[in-house]
Amino acid sequence: MYPFITIYELEQKLAKKEITREEILEFYLRRFEAFDEEIGSSLQIFDKESILQASAQGGELFGIPGLIKDNICQDGRVTSCASKMLENFVATYDATAIDRLKKAGALLLGRANMDEFAMGSSTETSAYKKTKNPWDHSRVPGGSSGGSAAAVAAGLVPWALGSDTGGSVSQPAGLCGIVGIKPTYGLVSRYGLVAYGSSVDQIGVMAKTVYDNARVLSVIAGKDSYDASMKLQDKKDYTRELTGKLPEGLRIGVVQNALGAEGVEADVVNAIEVAISVFEKAGASIKRVTMPSLDYAAATYFILSRAEAASNLARFDGVRYGLRDKSAKTLSDMYCNTRHDGFGKEVRARILVGNYVLSAGHAGQFYKNAQKVQRLISYEFQQMFKDVDVLVMPTHPAPAFKFGAFAHNKLQMDLQDYFTCAMNLAGIPSLSLPCGMSQEGLPIGFQIVGPSLSEQLLYQVGHAYQQETSWHTIHPKGY
Amino acid sequence: MSLITKEEVEKVARLSHIALSENEIEEVMSHLDAVLSYAVRVQDIAKDVDVPVVKNKNIEREDVAVGSHPDTILAQAPEREGDYFVVPVIIEAEPHKL
Repeated sequence: MYPFITIYELEQKLAKKEITREEILEFYLRRFEAFDEEIGSSLQIFDKESILQASAQGGELFGIPGLIKDNICQDGRVTSCASKMLENFVATYDATAIDRLKKAGALLLGRANMDEFAMGSSTETSAYKKTKNPWDHSRVPGGSSGGSAAAVAAGLVPWALGSDTGGSVSQPAGLCGIVGIKPTYGLVSRYGLVAYGSSVDQIGVMAKTVYDNARVLSVIAGKDSYDASMKLQDKKDYTRELTGKLPEGLRIGVVQNALGAEGVEADVVNAIEVAISVFEKAGASIKRVTMPSLDYAAATYFILSRAEAASNLARFDGVRYGLRDKSAKTLSDMYCNTRHDGFGKEVRARILVGNYVLSAGHAGQFYKNAQKVQRLISYEFQQMFKDVDVLVMPTHPAPAFKFGAFAHNKLQMDLQDYFTCAMNLAGIPSLSLPCGMSQEGLPIGFQIVGPSLSEQLLYQVGHAYQQETSWHTIHPKGY
Repeated sequence: MSLITKEEVEKVARLSHIALSENEIEEVMSHLDAVLSYAVRVQDIAKDVDVPVVKNKNIEREDVAVGSHPDTILAQAPEREGDYFVVPVIIEAEPHKL
Protein backbone atom coordinates (compact mmCIF):
# COMPACT_ATOMS: atom_id res chain seq x y z
CA MET A 1 0.00 0.00 0.00
CA TYR A 2 1.18 3.54 -0.81
CA PRO A 3 2.03 5.19 2.53
CA PHE A 4 0.71 8.60 1.53
CA ILE A 5 -2.67 7.19 0.56
CA THR A 6 -5.53 9.56 1.38
CA ILE A 7 -8.58 8.85 3.52
CA TYR A 8 -10.66 9.08 0.36
CA GLU A 9 -8.57 6.37 -1.34
CA LEU A 10 -8.57 4.15 1.76
CA GLU A 11 -12.34 4.32 1.84
CA GLN A 12 -12.55 3.21 -1.77
CA LYS A 13 -10.33 0.22 -0.99
CA LEU A 14 -12.40 -0.70 2.07
CA ALA A 15 -15.65 -0.38 0.13
CA LYS A 16 -14.34 -2.65 -2.62
CA LYS A 17 -13.14 -5.09 0.05
CA GLU A 18 -9.60 -4.89 -1.31
CA ILE A 19 -8.36 -4.44 2.24
CA THR A 20 -9.60 -4.96 5.81
CA ARG A 21 -9.34 -2.55 8.71
CA GLU A 22 -6.99 -5.00 10.45
CA GLU A 23 -4.64 -4.88 7.46
CA ILE A 24 -4.75 -1.08 7.40
CA LEU A 25 -3.97 -0.95 11.11
CA GLU A 26 -1.14 -3.42 10.76
CA PHE A 27 0.34 -1.37 7.90
CA TYR A 28 0.42 1.89 9.87
CA LEU A 29 1.63 0.28 13.11
CA ARG A 30 4.60 -1.06 11.11
CA ARG A 31 5.26 2.40 9.74
CA PHE A 32 5.47 3.79 13.25
CA GLU A 33 7.85 0.99 14.16
CA ALA A 34 10.01 1.65 11.12
CA PHE A 35 10.19 5.45 11.20
CA ASP A 36 9.06 6.92 14.48
CA GLU A 37 12.13 6.12 16.50
CA GLU A 38 13.87 8.65 14.27
CA ILE A 39 11.07 11.24 13.88
CA GLY A 40 9.65 11.10 17.40
CA SER A 41 6.12 12.14 16.47
CA SER A 42 4.44 9.94 19.07
CA LEU A 43 4.68 9.59 22.84
CA GLN A 44 2.97 6.21 22.74
CA ILE A 45 1.55 3.84 20.16
CA PHE A 46 -1.12 1.52 21.56
CA ASP A 47 -1.32 -2.23 21.05
CA LYS A 48 -3.34 -3.55 18.14
CA GLU A 49 -6.02 -5.29 20.18
CA SER A 50 -6.92 -2.30 22.33
CA ILE A 51 -7.06 -0.02 19.29
CA LEU A 52 -9.53 -2.31 17.54
CA GLN A 53 -11.56 -2.78 20.69
CA ALA A 54 -12.03 0.95 21.25
CA SER A 55 -13.35 1.53 17.75
CA ALA A 56 -16.88 0.87 16.42
CA GLN A 57 -17.47 -1.80 13.75
CA GLY A 58 -18.72 0.73 11.25
CA GLY A 59 -19.25 4.45 10.69
CA GLU A 60 -18.09 7.48 8.76
CA LEU A 61 -14.39 6.90 9.43
CA PHE A 62 -14.47 3.13 9.70
CA GLY A 63 -10.97 1.66 9.62
CA ILE A 64 -9.20 5.01 9.16
CA PRO A 65 -6.21 5.45 11.51
CA GLY A 66 -5.36 8.73 13.25
CA LEU A 67 -3.07 10.10 15.95
CA ILE A 68 -4.28 12.23 18.87
CA LYS A 69 -2.43 15.18 20.43
CA ASP A 70 -1.62 14.29 24.00
CA ASN A 71 -3.79 17.01 25.55
CA ILE A 72 -7.04 15.35 24.41
CA CYS A 73 -8.38 12.70 26.80
CA GLN A 74 -8.70 9.10 25.63
CA ASP A 75 -10.41 6.99 28.28
CA GLY A 76 -8.03 4.65 30.08
CA ARG A 77 -4.93 6.06 28.35
CA VAL A 78 -2.29 8.37 29.75
CA THR A 79 -2.86 12.05 28.86
CA SER A 80 0.42 13.74 29.74
CA CYS A 81 0.32 17.04 27.80
CA ALA A 82 4.02 16.19 27.26
CA SER A 83 4.59 17.32 30.84
CA LYS A 84 6.26 15.64 33.82
CA MET A 85 3.31 16.97 35.81
CA LEU A 86 0.96 14.46 34.18
CA GLU A 87 3.42 11.67 33.40
CA ASN A 88 1.18 9.01 34.95
CA PHE A 89 -2.19 10.68 34.61
CA VAL A 90 -4.74 8.31 33.10
CA ALA A 91 -7.81 9.90 31.50
CA THR A 92 -11.02 8.77 33.17
CA TYR A 93 -13.26 9.56 30.20
CA ASP A 94 -13.22 10.22 26.46
CA ALA A 95 -13.17 13.79 25.18
CA THR A 96 -16.27 14.43 23.06
CA ALA A 97 -14.12 14.54 19.89
CA ILE A 98 -12.62 11.16 20.82
CA ASP A 99 -16.02 9.66 21.64
CA ARG A 100 -17.32 10.72 18.22
CA LEU A 101 -14.25 9.39 16.41
CA LYS A 102 -14.51 6.01 18.13
CA LYS A 103 -18.23 5.78 17.34
CA ALA A 104 -17.41 6.66 13.71
CA GLY A 105 -15.10 3.64 13.58
CA ALA A 106 -11.81 5.58 13.43
CA LEU A 107 -8.71 3.76 14.71
CA LEU A 108 -6.91 5.84 17.34
CA LEU A 109 -3.30 4.69 17.20
CA GLY A 110 -1.66 6.66 19.95
CA ARG A 111 -0.64 9.92 21.58
CA ALA A 112 1.19 12.64 19.66
CA ASN A 113 4.11 14.62 21.05
CA MET A 114 3.58 18.34 21.60
CA ASP A 115 4.98 21.39 23.33
CA GLU A 116 4.38 21.02 27.06
CA PHE A 117 0.77 22.03 27.78
CA ALA A 118 0.64 23.29 24.17
CA MET A 119 2.98 26.18 24.97
CA GLY A 120 5.48 26.67 22.17
CA SER A 121 5.99 26.87 18.42
CA SER A 122 8.51 24.08 17.86
CA THR A 123 7.55 21.09 20.07
CA GLU A 124 10.93 21.66 21.77
CA THR A 125 9.30 22.26 25.16
CA SER A 126 8.02 18.66 25.36
CA ALA A 127 9.35 17.09 28.57
CA TYR A 128 9.88 13.79 26.75
CA LYS A 129 11.38 14.05 23.29
CA LYS A 130 12.16 16.12 20.25
CA THR A 131 10.02 15.69 17.16
CA LYS A 132 11.91 16.08 13.89
CA ASN A 133 10.53 17.66 10.78
CA PRO A 134 10.18 14.80 8.25
CA TRP A 135 11.44 17.12 5.48
CA ASP A 136 14.74 17.81 7.27
CA HIS A 137 15.68 16.11 10.51
CA SER A 138 17.77 19.05 11.70
CA ARG A 139 14.64 21.20 11.79
CA VAL A 140 11.57 21.47 14.02
CA PRO A 141 8.07 20.46 12.88
CA GLY A 142 6.57 23.63 14.40
CA GLY A 143 4.26 23.54 17.36
CA SER A 144 2.60 23.09 19.56
CA SER A 145 0.90 20.27 17.60
CA GLY A 146 4.28 19.23 16.12
CA GLY A 147 3.92 15.48 16.72
CA SER A 148 0.53 15.42 14.97
CA ALA A 149 1.90 17.37 11.98
CA ALA A 150 5.10 15.31 11.63
CA ALA A 151 3.19 12.01 11.73
CA VAL A 152 0.85 13.08 8.95
CA ALA A 153 3.66 14.58 6.86
CA ALA A 154 5.71 11.37 7.07
CA GLY A 155 2.73 9.23 6.09
CA LEU A 156 2.65 7.45 9.45
CA VAL A 157 -1.04 8.17 9.70
CA PRO A 158 -3.58 9.77 7.30
CA TRP A 159 -4.89 12.34 9.80
CA ALA A 160 -4.29 13.64 13.32
CA LEU A 161 -5.94 15.89 15.87
CA GLY A 162 -4.17 18.94 17.19
CA SER A 163 -5.29 21.88 19.28
CA ASP A 164 -4.88 25.55 18.48
CA THR A 165 -4.66 28.41 20.99
CA GLY A 166 -2.54 30.88 19.00
CA GLY A 167 -1.61 28.97 15.85
CA SER A 168 -0.71 25.53 17.16
CA VAL A 169 -2.43 23.69 14.31
CA SER A 170 -1.91 26.19 11.49
CA GLN A 171 1.82 26.82 11.98
CA PRO A 172 3.00 23.16 12.23
CA ALA A 173 0.70 22.29 9.30
CA GLY A 174 2.51 24.98 7.32
CA LEU A 175 6.00 23.92 8.36
CA CYS A 176 5.27 20.25 7.57
CA GLY A 177 3.48 20.84 4.26
CA ILE A 178 0.04 19.51 5.22
CA VAL A 179 -3.52 20.85 5.60
CA GLY A 180 -4.62 22.12 9.01
CA ILE A 181 -7.87 23.68 10.14
CA LYS A 182 -8.31 25.93 13.15
CA PRO A 183 -12.11 25.91 13.38
CA THR A 184 -14.40 28.68 14.59
CA TYR A 185 -14.33 29.09 18.36
CA GLY A 186 -17.24 26.98 19.58
CA LEU A 187 -17.51 24.62 16.59
CA VAL A 188 -15.71 21.64 18.17
CA SER A 189 -16.42 20.63 21.75
CA ARG A 190 -13.53 21.16 24.17
CA TYR A 191 -14.89 18.64 26.67
CA GLY A 192 -11.85 16.52 27.44
CA LEU A 193 -9.29 18.97 25.99
CA VAL A 194 -6.84 20.07 28.69
CA ALA A 195 -7.43 23.83 28.97
CA TYR A 196 -4.76 26.39 28.14
CA GLY A 197 -6.41 29.64 26.99
CA SER A 198 -10.10 28.91 27.40
CA SER A 199 -11.38 31.92 25.46
CA VAL A 200 -9.38 30.87 22.38
CA ASP A 201 -8.62 27.09 22.53
CA GLN A 202 -10.03 24.92 19.72
CA ILE A 203 -9.38 21.34 18.63
CA GLY A 204 -8.30 21.22 14.98
CA VAL A 205 -7.66 18.62 12.29
CA MET A 206 -4.51 17.89 10.29
CA ALA A 207 -4.48 15.82 7.08
CA LYS A 208 -2.79 15.70 3.69
CA THR A 209 -5.66 17.03 1.60
CA VAL A 210 -8.50 19.48 2.09
CA TYR A 211 -11.02 16.72 1.40
CA ASP A 212 -9.53 14.45 4.08
CA ASN A 213 -9.43 17.30 6.54
CA ALA A 214 -13.12 18.05 5.93
CA ARG A 215 -13.96 14.36 6.44
CA VAL A 216 -12.53 14.34 9.95
CA LEU A 217 -13.97 17.72 10.97
CA SER A 218 -17.41 16.49 9.87
CA VAL A 219 -17.16 13.77 12.53
CA ILE A 220 -16.01 15.89 15.48
CA ALA A 221 -17.81 19.23 14.90
CA GLY A 222 -21.23 20.19 16.19
CA LYS A 223 -22.99 20.95 19.43
CA ASP A 224 -22.30 19.11 22.66
CA SER A 225 -24.06 19.71 25.96
CA TYR A 226 -20.79 19.10 27.83
CA ASP A 227 -19.21 22.32 26.46
CA ALA A 228 -21.21 25.42 27.37
CA SER A 229 -19.17 27.69 25.09
CA MET A 230 -20.37 26.10 21.86
CA LYS A 231 -22.06 27.74 18.90
CA LEU A 232 -24.87 25.14 18.82
CA GLN A 233 -24.16 24.11 15.24
CA ASP A 234 -25.77 20.92 14.00
CA LYS A 235 -23.62 18.14 12.64
CA LYS A 236 -22.77 18.71 9.00
CA ASP A 237 -20.96 16.97 6.15
CA TYR A 238 -18.24 19.43 5.13
CA THR A 239 -17.27 17.37 2.08
CA ARG A 240 -20.65 17.74 0.41
CA GLU A 241 -20.02 20.93 -1.51
CA LEU A 242 -16.44 20.23 -2.50
CA THR A 243 -17.05 20.59 -6.22
CA GLY A 244 -13.50 21.57 -7.09
CA LYS A 245 -14.78 24.93 -8.33
CA LEU A 246 -14.47 28.30 -6.58
CA PRO A 247 -17.80 29.82 -5.54
CA GLU A 248 -19.13 32.19 -8.21
CA GLY A 249 -17.82 35.76 -7.79
CA LEU A 250 -15.50 34.92 -4.89
CA ARG A 251 -13.78 38.02 -3.45
CA ILE A 252 -10.38 37.40 -1.88
CA GLY A 253 -8.58 39.95 0.29
CA VAL A 254 -4.80 39.67 0.48
CA VAL A 255 -3.54 40.99 3.81
CA GLN A 256 -0.65 43.16 2.66
CA ASN A 257 0.76 44.06 6.08
CA ALA A 258 1.04 40.34 6.91
CA LEU A 259 2.71 39.56 3.60
CA GLY A 260 5.08 42.49 4.09
CA ALA A 261 5.67 41.94 7.82
CA GLU A 262 9.17 41.92 9.24
CA GLY A 263 10.93 38.60 8.75
CA VAL A 264 8.73 37.22 5.97
CA GLU A 265 11.14 35.57 3.55
CA ALA A 266 11.08 36.11 -0.20
CA ASP A 267 10.35 32.42 -0.89
CA VAL A 268 7.21 32.67 1.23
CA VAL A 269 6.01 35.87 -0.46
CA ASN A 270 6.67 34.41 -3.91
CA ALA A 271 4.84 31.17 -3.18
CA ILE A 272 1.81 33.04 -1.88
CA GLU A 273 1.77 35.43 -4.86
CA VAL A 274 1.70 32.39 -7.15
CA ALA A 275 -1.20 30.95 -5.11
CA ILE A 276 -3.04 34.25 -5.49
CA SER A 277 -2.60 34.12 -9.25
CA VAL A 278 -4.09 30.60 -9.22
CA PHE A 279 -7.21 31.98 -7.55
CA GLU A 280 -7.33 34.90 -9.95
CA LYS A 281 -7.14 32.59 -12.95
CA ALA A 282 -9.94 30.48 -11.45
CA GLY A 283 -12.19 33.54 -11.45
CA ALA A 284 -11.76 35.12 -8.02
CA SER A 285 -11.41 38.89 -7.68
CA ILE A 286 -8.37 39.95 -5.67
CA LYS A 287 -8.24 43.00 -3.43
CA ARG A 288 -5.15 44.10 -1.48
CA VAL A 289 -6.13 45.07 2.06
CA THR A 290 -4.41 46.09 5.30
CA MET A 291 -5.42 45.24 8.84
CA PRO A 292 -3.70 47.72 11.17
CA SER A 293 -4.74 45.93 14.37
CA LEU A 294 -2.92 42.79 13.24
CA ASP A 295 0.33 44.42 14.29
CA TYR A 296 -0.94 44.33 17.89
CA ALA A 297 -2.32 40.78 17.81
CA ALA A 298 0.78 39.03 19.18
CA ALA A 299 1.06 41.44 22.13
CA THR A 300 -2.64 41.00 22.89
CA TYR A 301 -2.35 37.25 22.59
CA PHE A 302 0.70 37.08 24.87
CA ILE A 303 -1.23 38.84 27.63
CA LEU A 304 -4.58 37.06 27.35
CA SER A 305 -3.21 33.55 26.77
CA ARG A 306 -0.74 33.76 29.66
CA ALA A 307 -3.41 35.18 31.96
CA GLU A 308 -5.78 32.36 31.14
CA ALA A 309 -3.00 29.78 31.40
CA ALA A 310 -2.13 31.05 34.90
CA SER A 311 -5.72 30.43 35.98
CA ASN A 312 -6.19 27.14 34.15
CA LEU A 313 -2.93 25.60 35.32
CA ALA A 314 -3.62 26.48 38.95
CA ARG A 315 -5.37 23.10 39.18
CA PHE A 316 -2.07 21.22 38.96
CA ASP A 317 -1.19 21.31 42.61
CA GLY A 318 -0.23 17.75 43.51
CA VAL A 319 -3.40 17.09 45.49
CA ARG A 320 -5.85 15.17 43.31
CA TYR A 321 -3.73 13.81 40.46
CA GLY A 322 -0.39 14.16 38.76
CA LEU A 323 3.02 14.71 40.25
CA ARG A 324 3.54 15.49 43.94
CA ASP A 325 6.68 16.47 45.80
CA LYS A 326 6.48 13.89 48.57
CA SER A 327 9.32 15.34 50.63
CA ALA A 328 7.55 18.60 51.47
CA LYS A 329 6.55 19.02 55.10
CA THR A 330 3.84 21.62 54.65
CA LEU A 331 1.04 22.07 52.14
CA SER A 332 2.46 25.33 50.85
CA ASP A 333 5.90 23.81 50.21
CA MET A 334 4.24 20.84 48.55
CA TYR A 335 2.39 23.15 46.12
CA CYS A 336 5.45 25.27 45.33
CA ASN A 337 7.88 22.37 44.87
CA THR A 338 5.42 20.25 42.88
CA ARG A 339 4.74 23.11 40.48
CA HIS A 340 8.43 23.86 40.15
CA ASP A 341 9.40 20.24 39.45
CA GLY A 342 6.33 19.28 37.41
CA PHE A 343 6.32 22.20 34.96
CA GLY A 344 9.09 22.95 32.50
CA LYS A 345 10.71 26.37 32.16
CA GLU A 346 8.40 27.65 29.44
CA VAL A 347 5.22 26.69 31.28
CA ARG A 348 6.48 28.24 34.52
CA ALA A 349 7.39 31.45 32.72
CA ARG A 350 3.97 31.69 31.09
CA ILE A 351 2.20 31.20 34.41
CA LEU A 352 4.35 33.92 35.96
CA VAL A 353 3.65 36.34 33.11
CA GLY A 354 -0.04 35.50 33.45
CA ASN A 355 -0.23 36.21 37.14
CA TYR A 356 1.81 39.38 36.67
CA VAL A 357 -0.56 40.84 34.06
CA LEU A 358 -3.53 39.91 36.23
CA SER A 359 -2.11 41.24 39.49
CA ALA A 360 -3.36 44.41 41.17
CA GLY A 361 -1.42 47.34 39.79
CA HIS A 362 -0.68 45.78 36.41
CA ALA A 363 -4.06 44.42 35.25
CA GLY A 364 -5.13 47.85 33.96
CA GLN A 365 -2.02 48.39 31.90
CA PHE A 366 -1.89 44.87 30.49
CA TYR A 367 -4.95 42.65 30.84
CA LYS A 368 -7.71 45.25 30.46
CA ASN A 369 -5.99 46.95 27.54
CA ALA A 370 -5.46 43.59 25.84
CA GLN A 371 -9.18 42.84 26.15
CA LYS A 372 -9.92 46.12 24.39
CA VAL A 373 -7.52 45.37 21.56
CA GLN A 374 -9.07 41.92 21.21
CA ARG A 375 -12.42 43.62 20.57
CA LEU A 376 -10.76 45.88 18.01
CA ILE A 377 -9.22 42.91 16.16
CA SER A 378 -12.60 41.16 16.06
CA TYR A 379 -14.28 44.32 14.80
CA GLU A 380 -11.67 44.86 12.09
CA PHE A 381 -12.23 41.35 10.77
CA GLN A 382 -16.01 41.89 10.76
CA GLN A 383 -15.62 45.09 8.76
CA MET A 384 -13.20 43.38 6.40
CA PHE A 385 -15.64 40.57 5.66
CA LYS A 386 -18.17 43.12 4.37
CA ASP A 387 -15.85 43.74 1.40
CA VAL A 388 -14.26 40.34 0.85
CA ASP A 389 -15.39 36.73 1.38
CA VAL A 390 -12.08 35.32 2.56
CA LEU A 391 -8.62 36.62 3.41
CA VAL A 392 -5.29 35.15 2.35
CA MET A 393 -2.09 35.51 4.36
CA PRO A 394 1.09 33.61 5.29
CA THR A 395 0.87 30.92 7.99
CA HIS A 396 4.51 31.43 8.97
CA PRO A 397 7.24 33.95 8.04
CA ALA A 398 9.87 31.40 6.97
CA PRO A 399 10.15 27.64 6.42
CA ALA A 400 10.88 25.30 9.35
CA PHE A 401 13.79 26.51 11.51
CA LYS A 402 16.62 24.48 13.05
CA PHE A 403 16.50 23.05 16.57
CA GLY A 404 17.66 25.61 19.09
CA ALA A 405 17.46 28.46 16.55
CA PHE A 406 15.65 30.66 19.07
CA ALA A 407 17.26 29.31 22.24
CA HIS A 408 18.71 32.73 23.03
CA ASN A 409 15.80 34.80 21.82
CA LYS A 410 12.56 33.17 22.86
CA LEU A 411 10.59 36.31 22.06
CA GLN A 412 11.47 36.01 18.36
CA MET A 413 10.01 32.51 18.28
CA ASP A 414 6.89 33.61 20.12
CA LEU A 415 6.46 36.38 17.56
CA GLN A 416 5.68 33.72 14.96
CA ASP A 417 2.24 33.84 16.54
CA TYR A 418 1.82 37.18 14.71
CA PHE A 419 0.55 35.29 11.66
CA THR A 420 -1.96 33.08 13.40
CA CYS A 421 -3.10 34.33 16.80
CA ALA A 422 -5.38 37.09 15.44
CA MET A 423 -7.76 34.39 14.23
CA ASN A 424 -7.85 32.84 17.70
CA LEU A 425 -8.51 36.24 19.27
CA ALA A 426 -11.35 36.89 16.81
CA GLY A 427 -12.69 33.32 17.12
CA ILE A 428 -12.74 32.87 13.34
CA PRO A 429 -11.63 29.85 11.28
CA SER A 430 -8.45 29.46 9.27
CA LEU A 431 -7.44 26.75 6.80
CA SER A 432 -3.70 26.37 6.27
CA LEU A 433 -2.45 24.57 3.19
CA PRO A 434 0.80 24.00 1.30
CA CYS A 435 1.56 26.36 -1.59
CA GLY A 436 5.19 25.85 -2.47
CA MET A 437 8.72 24.84 -1.55
CA SER A 438 11.63 26.96 -0.44
CA GLN A 439 14.96 26.86 -2.27
CA GLU A 440 16.16 24.50 0.46
CA GLY A 441 13.31 22.11 -0.35
CA LEU A 442 11.15 22.89 2.67
CA PRO A 443 7.36 23.30 2.49
CA ILE A 444 5.68 26.71 2.60
CA GLY A 445 2.09 27.19 3.75
CA PHE A 446 -0.52 29.90 3.48
CA GLN A 447 -3.87 30.32 5.11
CA ILE A 448 -7.37 31.12 3.98
CA VAL A 449 -9.31 32.93 6.69
CA GLY A 450 -13.07 33.45 6.77
CA PRO A 451 -15.79 34.86 9.02
CA SER A 452 -17.25 32.93 11.94
CA LEU A 453 -18.57 29.49 10.90
CA SER A 454 -17.34 29.74 7.30
CA GLU A 455 -15.56 26.35 7.36
CA GLN A 456 -17.68 25.12 4.46
CA LEU A 457 -16.51 28.04 2.31
CA LEU A 458 -12.86 27.66 3.36
CA TYR A 459 -12.89 23.98 2.41
CA GLN A 460 -14.56 24.78 -0.90
CA VAL A 461 -11.90 27.37 -1.74
CA GLY A 462 -9.05 25.17 -0.46
CA HIS A 463 -10.28 22.10 -2.34
CA ALA A 464 -10.62 24.12 -5.57
CA TYR A 465 -7.03 25.30 -5.04
CA GLN A 466 -5.80 21.72 -4.63
CA GLN A 467 -7.50 20.71 -7.89
CA GLU A 468 -5.39 23.31 -9.69
CA THR A 469 -2.09 22.65 -7.87
CA SER A 470 -0.04 19.65 -6.79
CA TRP A 471 1.81 20.79 -3.63
CA HIS A 472 -0.27 18.43 -1.49
CA THR A 473 0.94 15.48 -3.53
CA ILE A 474 4.64 16.10 -2.84
CA HIS A 475 5.93 14.17 0.17
CA PRO A 476 9.24 14.04 2.01
CA LYS A 477 11.66 11.41 0.72
CA GLY A 478 12.77 8.30 2.56
CA TYR A 479 9.43 7.21 4.01
CA MET B 1 15.01 50.06 31.87
CA SER B 2 13.68 46.81 33.21
CA LEU B 3 9.88 46.65 33.51
CA ILE B 4 10.00 44.15 36.33
CA THR B 5 12.01 44.05 39.53
CA LYS B 6 13.40 41.05 41.38
CA GLU B 7 10.95 41.67 44.23
CA GLU B 8 8.08 41.58 41.76
CA VAL B 9 9.27 38.27 40.32
CA GLU B 10 9.46 36.83 43.83
CA LYS B 11 6.00 38.11 44.61
CA VAL B 12 4.43 36.74 41.45
CA ALA B 13 6.17 33.37 42.02
CA ARG B 14 4.63 33.26 45.50
CA LEU B 15 1.21 34.09 44.04
CA SER B 16 1.71 31.36 41.45
CA HIS B 17 2.84 28.80 44.04
CA ILE B 18 6.02 28.11 42.10
CA ALA B 19 9.31 27.69 43.96
CA LEU B 20 12.24 29.41 42.22
CA SER B 21 15.91 29.12 43.09
CA GLU B 22 18.16 32.17 43.15
CA ASN B 23 19.62 31.27 39.71
CA GLU B 24 16.22 30.74 38.20
CA ILE B 25 14.97 34.14 39.34
CA GLU B 26 17.53 35.91 37.13
CA GLU B 27 16.53 33.92 34.08
CA VAL B 28 12.81 34.33 34.71
CA MET B 29 13.32 38.07 35.17
CA SER B 30 14.86 38.50 31.75
CA HIS B 31 12.20 36.30 30.15
CA LEU B 32 9.36 38.25 31.77
CA ASP B 33 11.00 41.51 30.89
CA ALA B 34 11.26 40.60 27.21
CA VAL B 35 7.62 39.50 26.98
CA LEU B 36 6.23 42.41 28.99
CA SER B 37 8.33 45.02 27.17
CA TYR B 38 6.88 43.76 23.93
CA ALA B 39 3.32 43.30 25.22
CA VAL B 40 3.08 46.76 26.75
CA ARG B 41 2.41 48.18 23.29
CA VAL B 42 -1.27 47.26 23.68
CA GLN B 43 -1.69 50.42 25.73
CA ASP B 44 -0.74 52.61 22.74
CA ILE B 45 -3.67 51.41 20.70
CA ALA B 46 -6.13 50.53 23.50
CA LYS B 47 -6.78 54.15 24.45
CA ASP B 48 -8.39 54.81 21.06
CA VAL B 49 -10.49 51.65 20.96
CA ASP B 50 -14.16 52.48 20.73
CA VAL B 51 -15.74 49.10 20.13
CA PRO B 52 -18.58 48.14 22.46
CA VAL B 53 -18.37 44.98 24.54
CA VAL B 54 -20.49 42.23 23.01
CA LYS B 55 -22.79 40.85 25.65
CA ASN B 56 -23.10 37.08 25.56
CA LYS B 57 -26.47 35.60 26.40
CA ASN B 58 -26.55 32.69 28.78
CA ILE B 59 -28.19 29.58 27.45
CA GLU B 60 -29.41 27.58 30.38
CA ARG B 61 -30.16 23.92 30.58
CA GLU B 62 -31.72 21.64 33.16
CA ASP B 63 -29.40 20.59 35.94
CA VAL B 64 -29.44 16.83 35.60
CA ALA B 65 -27.66 14.61 38.08
CA VAL B 66 -25.38 12.05 36.45
CA GLY B 67 -23.57 9.18 38.07
CA SER B 68 -20.01 9.75 39.20
CA HIS B 69 -17.24 7.30 39.86
CA PRO B 70 -15.24 8.46 42.86
CA ASP B 71 -13.02 5.41 42.71
CA THR B 72 -11.63 6.11 39.24
CA ILE B 73 -11.00 9.71 40.27
CA LEU B 74 -9.44 8.82 43.61
CA ALA B 75 -7.24 6.20 41.97
CA GLN B 76 -5.22 9.10 40.49
CA ALA B 77 -4.51 10.67 43.89
CA PRO B 78 -0.83 10.89 44.85
CA GLU B 79 -1.94 9.97 48.37
CA ARG B 80 -5.35 8.92 49.66
CA GLU B 81 -7.04 7.46 52.67
CA GLY B 82 -10.41 5.86 51.91
CA ASP B 83 -12.40 8.48 50.05
CA TYR B 84 -10.15 11.36 51.09
CA PHE B 85 -7.20 13.06 49.43
CA VAL B 86 -4.34 13.29 51.90
CA VAL B 87 -2.20 16.44 52.00
CA PRO B 88 0.69 17.54 54.23
CA VAL B 89 -0.11 19.67 57.29
CA ILE B 90 -1.68 23.00 56.47
CA ILE B 91 -0.88 24.84 59.71
CA GLU B 92 1.99 23.76 61.87
CA ALA B 93 0.60 23.51 65.40
CA GLU B 94 2.65 23.18 68.54
CA PRO B 95 2.29 19.47 69.39
CA HIS B 96 1.57 19.84 73.14
CA LYS B 97 -1.55 21.95 72.50
CA LEU B 98 -3.17 19.27 70.35
